[in-house]
Formats: sequence, structure tokens, C-alpha cells
Amino acid sequence: MNFRNNFTKIGFFTLSCLLIGGSIIYQTAYSQDAEQAKKESAAPVTKCFESMEGYTSVSRIENAVPQYGYPNVKCSQTTSGVLWYGDPYDGTKPMGDMPKLKDDTRGDYDSEEAVVKPRESKLNYFECTGCHDGDTVPVPKDKKARAIDAHDDIVENPLEMMHGRGAIWCLDCHSATNRNKLVDHQGNEISMDQPQKLCGSCHGEVYADWRMGIHGKRTGSWVKGGKKRWWVCTECHNPHTVEVNRFDPLKPEQAPELPRGMKKTEHNTEEH
Amino acid sequence: MSEERIDIKKERDDGDNTRRDFLKNMGIAAVAGAAALSAVPADAEAKVELAEHLQGHFELMTDGQKKECIERLEKRYTEEFGKKTTVSNAPPVKGVLFGYALSISKCIGCRRCVKACVQENNQSRHDPEIEWIRVLKMEKGNLAFSADKLDKGYPETSALGNHGVQVGGNAYNAVGVSGETEHYYEPDKVPEKDAFYFPVQCQQCEKPACVKACPTQATYRDPNGIVVIDYNWCIGCRMCLLACPYWARRFNWAQPNLPAEDMNPKTHYLGNRPRMNGVMEKCTFCLQRVRDGRYPACVEACPVGARKFGNLLDPESEVRKILATKQVLRFKEEYNTYPKFFYYID
Repeated sequence: MNFRNNFTKIGFFTLSCLLIGGSIIYQTAYSQDAEQAKKESAAPVTKCFESMEGYTSVSRIENAVPQYGYPNVKCSQTTSGVLWYGDPYDGTKPMGDMPKLKDDTRGDYDSEEAVVKPRESKLNYFECTGCHDGDTVPVPKDKKARAIDAHDDIVENPLEMMHGRGAIWCLDCHSATNRNKLVDHQGNEISMDQPQKLCGSCHGEVYADWRMGIHGKRTGSWVKGGKKRWWVCTECHNPHTVEVNRFDPLKPEQAPELPRGMKKTEHNTEEH
Repeated sequence: MSEERIDIKKERDDGDNTRRDFLKNMGIAAVAGAAALSAVPADAEAKVELAEHLQGHFELMTDGQKKECIERLEKRYTEEFGKKTTVSNAPPVKGVLFGYALSISKCIGCRRCVKACVQENNQSRHDPEIEWIRVLKMEKGNLAFSADKLDKGYPETSALGNHGVQVGGNAYNAVGVSGETEHYYEPDKVPEKDAFYFPVQCQQCEKPACVKACPTQATYRDPNGIVVIDYNWCIGCRMCLLACPYWARRFNWAQPNLPAEDMNPKTHYLGNRPRMNGVMEKCTFCLQRVRDGRYPACVEACPVGARKFGNLLDPESEVRKILATKQVLRFKEEYNTYPKFFYYID
């Protein structure tokens, strides 16, 4: 009996030594792999776009949030799209007043805490009055649609505006007299930073949803009354081509890895 | 009778003796193991690992133990990744039940949410590649009355004669079937024509099947309705993975590969702190962010605003407004898991 007990003891000891030794060797080997993986990683992308490509650009600034050493944004290596916000309020300013909702709630809106990112600085041709000063380019007499020689990068064919199915033209939204501003049906001038005031005059249902926070995008704090960046219409929609695509198609991020040992196949080919 | 009883008692004693011996042996082995561990060059690291192995369930720890544990982790991650890492122990938010809504008519399948999640939550980047969100591409509603679908593989006359039953097709082109799902799609541009997209991640069920399946209660529902995992209490049995009807859980089959410069140093014990080999992980609605008042990373990344997040107990929150005004569905409702993740159409 004694011998057997001792024998099991020794056996157990050797086995556990082997086991632990093995796992240590395995772990050291693996951690070397991990060290290598930590080193290999391409340089971060610095020129990014937020929602639409070539429309809302942002550059990565290192250490924008010193508390955690965060950059303001992290962008995708494959598409340069912004993936992650270290600072969701980067470059924003207060949105200003908003009309009340037509029910007994205000919706989740706090005039102190609602911010937007100014659009004017992102526009290719701003300030528009540089050319549209009344002399270099004369002020048009009426809102009648006509062919234009300029801005074909924005609107390919002004006579077939891809918005409103032929019912509207440039000067229905852009102020004829002050080209830096948009203009609504009553002739009120509207800032390019506040396009929702104009868009909402036709697209009332969508506007109501946006006002409640269920259409469009918000970033920042989920807390009621918390600081939020509201994304305005033209940050996601291109008003000049919206009839073709409500959102311009973009390149998707990388597909997930296939299960180990599986190869990519075309499922819809005739061979199957 | 009495003799028998004595015999039984004797046997029991014997049994106890052998068990005691076994435990004694175990003790020797453990000492040997500890000795072997401390023989490794990274002496402190091994001690930390041992302490981590021996710690209790997070919810049952005293405040002192929690503090000690958090400090240990912070020190370890800071050393390991070469930057100041914080491990938060922020408590659940009071009076809040978190809910999520996703518009399947807006989603364009760009997978930015997937990658944002990886950035935020410190998943393993490769070998194994772990992503908590999976975007399914679905064929747009089509009852296969289009000619090219119907022509494929139809009909096949059986040896017993043609009984007018729609047979034929094949595994990839079944006759009369629509809604083919794919998640490895890689077109030049999304959205593709005649496709819609259905992202799936943890649904944060009110009656989570994974929690019922967990033998160690390492995964549990927190007071805000988020199903969390104590990674140190997880034994890696993967029962939860089998139980989850949504394929929401991911397992670390190897030591995660997390590049130091991409590592997110703001972490939470139950959220995005770096995981180890052999533990389960899944979406926590970005616990480390939402307990701090911020939107989850996927909500902020979505370029079309298809993702909405908020407090289900607040009638003015975005999610409640959606529940009130849109057509909403829950995924796999028939399982009675009561997800707090709602898909809607608008």
C-alpha cells in the first residue's frame, strides 16, 4: 500500500512538472509571436472622410484627448473612412435654437448641449460671393432653369437636376442675391451650416424624425440632455444627386476571415 | 447489522484517507507548479497571473479585493502595452435599461461598425480574428418568380414519376427560395443592387440563453440589462456559445494579437480590457463608454445613422421614439429571449 502511494505521488509530481513545463514553453513561444504582431502595423491613416467620400473630410490629430492619449479620430486602413471618434465634439459649434416638437415633449434636445460641425469651411467654392458678387457673375433675373457653364463637378446637367424630379432648380435653394446663403420659400436666408431649416420645409416627415433623433446621426452622449453632435442633412446626403442615391455608394470594409481551411467560392456559378 | 455499519464506516474512512492523500498530492503539485512558475524570468508577471487565476467572482469580491484586482490589472496592462491604461470599475447607471435600434432599410453594409467595434473593444486582430458584429447580406424580397431563378434546376422528374412537386435546384440555388444570406461579400461599392443588410451582434436578451447555460455564472445580466462576462471567472467551456441563438459570442482560441499602438487604453473590467487565451467575449454595448454616458462605438461609426441607442425607460429617448413610431421587429422572437436589440423599418 505504502509503495503504491509513493509511486502515485512520484508519478503525479512528474506529470504535473511536465505539464507545467510544457505550458511555460508554449507560452513563451506564443508571446514571441505576439510581440512580433504588436510591432507589425501600418502607419495610421491621417486623411479621412466622415460620412461620404470626398465630401466631409477630417484629419487625424494625435493626442487630441490627452487624458487617454486618444487621437481625435481613427480611420480605416482600407477605405480611409472614420471608424472611431476619440473626441466626438472635435471642431463643433453650438447649433442654436430649434423649434419645439408638436407634442408635449421637447424631444431629446438641449440648446446648451446641441452642437454641429460647421459646413461652410468644408465647401469647395466657399466664399461663393468671391465670384457671385453681382459684377463678375451678374445676378440672374429669374429662377428659370437654364444651362450653365460652371460647376459641372457639382451638377452635371443643371437642366436635369437630380433632385425633385425636374420640379426645382438651383435658385430654389440657393439665394440669388447672397450666394453664401441658402434661401427658403419665404425668401429667408439660411446658413449653409443649417440646411435642415431648408430641407425640412419640403421633407417635413423626415425632418420631424430627425428632430426626434430617429433619422440621421448623432454622436457624443446618449444621456438625455447630454452633449450631442447633430449631423445635418448635407453631411450624409448630396442634395444635387439625391434622386439617384439617397446615400452615395462607398467601398465596404474588409470582409471577415473565412473559417480556417475554407476557401472563397462563387456560390452562384453554374458549376454547383 | 452492527458489523456491517462498522464496515461501511471503515470504508468511508478509507475513502476519506485516499481523498486526503489526493489533496495532499495536489498541494505538492501546486507548490511545485508555483515554484516552476516563479522560475520564469518574468517573475512578477507569473505572480500576477497566479493571483488572477485565484481571484473570486467579480460580483462577490469585496471592495478591497476589487480595488486590488483593478490595480493589478492596470499595472499589468500598462507594462504590457507600454501606455497608461485605466481599468474602470464604474457601476451600472441608475434608472436605465439600455436598448438598441437598427434600421434595416438604411444599413448599407459598409461594415464600419464592425471595424469601429474592433478599435474600441480591443479584439484580437488576427489569429484569431475576432469581430463582435457580423453583417449579413440578404437578397431583397423575391419569391423566385423571376425567370432566371425558376429556370435553375427545375424540374427534376423522380424515378417514381413527376408528381408536380417543385423539386430540383441545388444547395446554392434552391427553387422557390429567396433571402440567400452571405456575410463574406466584398463588392467594390455598397449598397449592392437588390440586397439589404442585417447586422447581427449580441442582442442583450432579457432572458439570455447564454446566462442560463453558463455553469460558473461568469456571464450574467447587469442591472442595466447588459449581459457581461467576468473574463477571469470564465472557464472557457463554450456552453454559452452553443446556447446563443444569435451567434453573438466569440471565443479566444489563442492568445489574442492586439497591437500596442492600436490598443484602447480606456477600459472597463467587464468591458473592453484585453482578454486572454481561452475566454469568451461578446458585445457589451461598449460598457466602458455607455456607463460613462457616451454612445457605443458602432453608433458613432455608422455613416448612415442606421444605429440608435438609448434608455428604454425614458419615453423621449431615441429608441423609445422608434418603438413608438416605426415598424419594429425582434430577431428570432420565437425563442422568447426578449432581446433589447430592435430592428426597424422606415
